[in-house]
Formats: sequence, structure tokens, C-alpha cells
Amino acid sequence: MIEAKNIYLAYDENKFIIKKGSFKIKEKEFVFIGGTSGSGKSTLLKSFYGEISLKHGSLIIDGKQINAINKKELRSLRKDIGIIFQDYKLINELTIEENIMIPLKINGYSNEISKNQALKLLSHVKLSHRKGYYPNELSGGEQQRVAVARALAHNPKIIIADEPTGNLDDYSAQLVWNLLKGANEQLGITVVVVTHRVPKNLGIIFKQLSIEDGIIYEVS
Amino acid sequence: MKSLKNHLAFVIPLAFMLLTFTIYLFTNNIIKDYKQSISNDYSIVIITHTPLIKDKLEKMSSFDIKAVTRLKKDKIINKLKKDLSFESLNLLKSKLPFFYKIQLDDFPTSSQLIKIKKELALNKNIKRIEIFSKNHNQVYLLLLIINQIVVIVFTIISIFTVIIIAKQVKIWFYENSRQITILQLHGASILYSASRIIKQALFSAFIAFILISSLVVFVSLNMNMFIPLELQDIVRTKLDVQTQIINLFLLSFGISFITVMSVLISYKISNE
Repeated sequence: MIEAKNIYLAYDENKFIIKKGSFKIKEKEFVFIGGTSGSGKSTLLKSFYGEISLKHGSLIIDGKQINAINKKELRSLRKDIGIIFQDYKLINELTIEENIMIPLKINGYSNEISKNQALKLLSHVKLSHRKGYYPNELSGGEQQRVAVARALAHNPKIIIADEPTGNLDDYSAQLVWNLLKGANEQLGITVVVVTHRVPKNLGIIFKQLSIEDGIIYEVS
Repeated sequence: MKSLKNHLAFVIPLAFMLLTFTIYLFTNNIIKDYKQSISNDYSIVIITHTPLIKDKLEKMSSFDIKAVTRLKKDKIINKLKKDLSFESLNLLKSKLPFFYKIQLDDFPTSSQLIKIKKELALNKNIKRIEIFSKNHNQVYLLLLIINQIVVIVFTIISIFTVIIIAKQVKIWFYENSRQITILQLHGASILYSASRIIKQALFSAFIAFILISSLVVFVSLNMNMFIPLELQDIVRTKLDVQTQIINLFLLSFGISFITVMSVLISYKISNE
């Protein structure tokens, strides 16, 4: 599903954040990526959906060589990925229901199907009573739950989550982990999560990668 | 309130442009109708040695020839019928030159008629040229000048309108850049991501179109309020409302769509 061979990532030409990173993530796997702050975890995730380009190496996502695909192929790849951003990235001008409908609409689903799916997911994240609210009317935890619902909405092949529970209270954090676990177990979605702390008692087999000094290790 | 302000920054310049375009079409119609009404008030008659070929006369002094009519000699012959014998009449008939009346596509001014006369005089086949015209020159020239001024004003306003609405669209892109980025990260095309801005621009274009169309309808129904009856006797001041509205619709939406697309392409290029 995701295969990296000797990848180098950098914002500045001379300062590599990831050096010679190699790893393999299989389909339906649940993977945690750990590491200290500034170690390049988020940068690595960004490379999965083409927000940052590789300097060297090869990265294959769902059979597509990310550094060799054109704009159209990148758009198509992004449609198959559900992304949970650290800063939620919800559109403040749209209601939370409309925010969840975004990936469905982009994938060409009708308004009715999108709406029904959004309502279903809002009930999963326990926010049905707030469907007409705008993101800035919700707490951080609630916004993150909306972001999770949006990432799951179109039943993607991969879910990429950047610190999905970093700013959440225990209740919201548990809800998010349950949703991600359910997506992986029941829907067979590959889940890649960047986090500082791996939750205890997740009740699931997972793989763990760690980044230290720009080098990616597999934690056994 | 902010949204209204945003729309006004688009609607006002576009409405001004549509207004000057309406005035241009209006003056153009007046000139056309006036030309029509005075089109028979001039006449170019030429007398030639041999029959005239129309193609050879085409394109005189940038005026296209609409028709060359051969004038019959019978009138002259009939007048002399009583006084001359049949043989003499036949001889006269064969010796008489050829008479032609030339009609042009556009109504010529006095100076243009003089120029045409000079050009025709260069043709060796032409024996004599006679030009008859009433002097409509001043009114016609005045109308032409007004029309030229309106064209210049319309061009200037159009340039400024495109600049102003392009700037407004750029502001919309700036205001919506976060939303565009989020949608693109989810795999949306730039066209889909900017659909809100396109809708906003087309809505503004619709408002401007409705405003000016309503004005056109109002003016056409109350022409007497705006144009004195005396003037209406000289020139036909009726507005073709249907054509005018179609033209306004095409211009309003055309300019808006082209401007939005140009800004969108430049945004796409600068963000790649």
C-alpha cells in the first residue's frame, strides 16, 4: 500500500528532515509513526498526499509513484485518502454537515447520498445535535471529531492522521481512537497515525515506526 | 454587509460598462436609422462611352458599391420621336452614351462625395460625373462624432472595468485561499475549488445585467421623458429592447466569465 525507498525530504535544499527513509506499510495495516517534536513526522505524512515533494528516492502510494505522477493522478490519489489534519482544516464558511460532505461531493456522490452519509457520521462522532453549526462554534475536541468524520466519509483506502488526539480531552480522544480502529477493522482501511503517545489498550495489532535524526526505524 | 460590499465592487463597474455599451448601441441605432432616412438624398450619375462593368468600379474611397443601375435612354428618345425620322432615331440611339446611377453601401459625407468624384474622374471610360446631394452633412457629422466619443468612453470604461473586477476576483481568491487549499488537498480540481468564486462573480454579473436591463426597459417605455419630441421627428429614437437585452446579457456574463477564468488561470500558475 505504501512503500518508501531511500526517501529524502526537505523544505530547504540543504536541510534534510528525512534522510534515507525506507519502510513498507501493507494494506489494512494500522501504523503509528512516532518521534520527537520536529523530527519530521508531519513532513513525512505530507509527502504521502503530495503536499511536499521528495528530493530523492521513491515513494509508492497505492501503486502510484508519487514523485512521477501528474496533477490529475495526484488529484485521483488524494480522492482515495482521508486526511485528519493537526489543525483540523475545516471550512469555517460551511456547516459541519457540509464539511463532512466535501470528500463525497468531490468524489461525485449526489447531494442526497452525501447528506445521508454526513448525518450517519455525525451520529457516530456524537455530534448529530450540532449538524447546523459552523466549525468556529464548536470546541477543539468537537472540531477534531468532525475532521475524523470527514476523513471517513468517502470510505477511503488510506486514512492519514496527524496528531488526531493531540489537543483532545479523554472522551473525544477515546471516540477518535474507536473510530479509527473501527475503520481499520471493519472497513479494512489502512490507517497511518502520527502521534506522540500510542494509546494503551487499543486492542488492535499495529506496526510502529519511529523517526530519529531524520532516519526512519521500525520499532519491534 | 461585507458580502454586499464585495458584490458592489464588482457590480458597479460592470453596470457602468453595460450602461456605456447601451448608449453606444443607442447612438449607433440612431445613426443607422438616420442614414436610412437620408440614403436617397444623394445621387451619383455617370455617363460612359462604353457599357460599365461593376467590378471595375468596386471599392471607391473605402465605400462599397451597393448597386449600379443603368438608366434607360428611352426617355430622351421618346421626347424626340415626333421630330426625327426612324433612321435618325436609331442613329441617335447608337450614338448616345451610357447613363448609370451608382448607389453606395454607406451614406457619404460631402467631402467623401468629392473624393469619389475625383476617383471616378480618373476612369477614362467615364465621360461625365454628376453628383447631387442635400446638405445633411452637419447633423450626420455631429451624430458620427457623438458615436465616436461614446466608443472611446466605452473602450476606456471597459478597460477600467476589467481591471477593477479582476482585482475584486483576486481579493475573493485571497479570501478563499484557505478553502481552495483544503478542497485541493481532498482531490478537488482548481475549477471545483474556486466554484464559489465563479458563482459569486456570475451572481454579480446577473445583478448588473438586471439593473441595466431594467433601465433599458424603463427608458424605452418612457422615451418622451428623455428625448424631446422635436428630435424624435428628425431621428428615430426607438430602442430595440429585445436585441439590447440579449447584447447586455452576453456582454455582462462574457466579460465576467473571461475575467474570472483569467484570474483563475493566473492563480493556478502562481500556486504550482
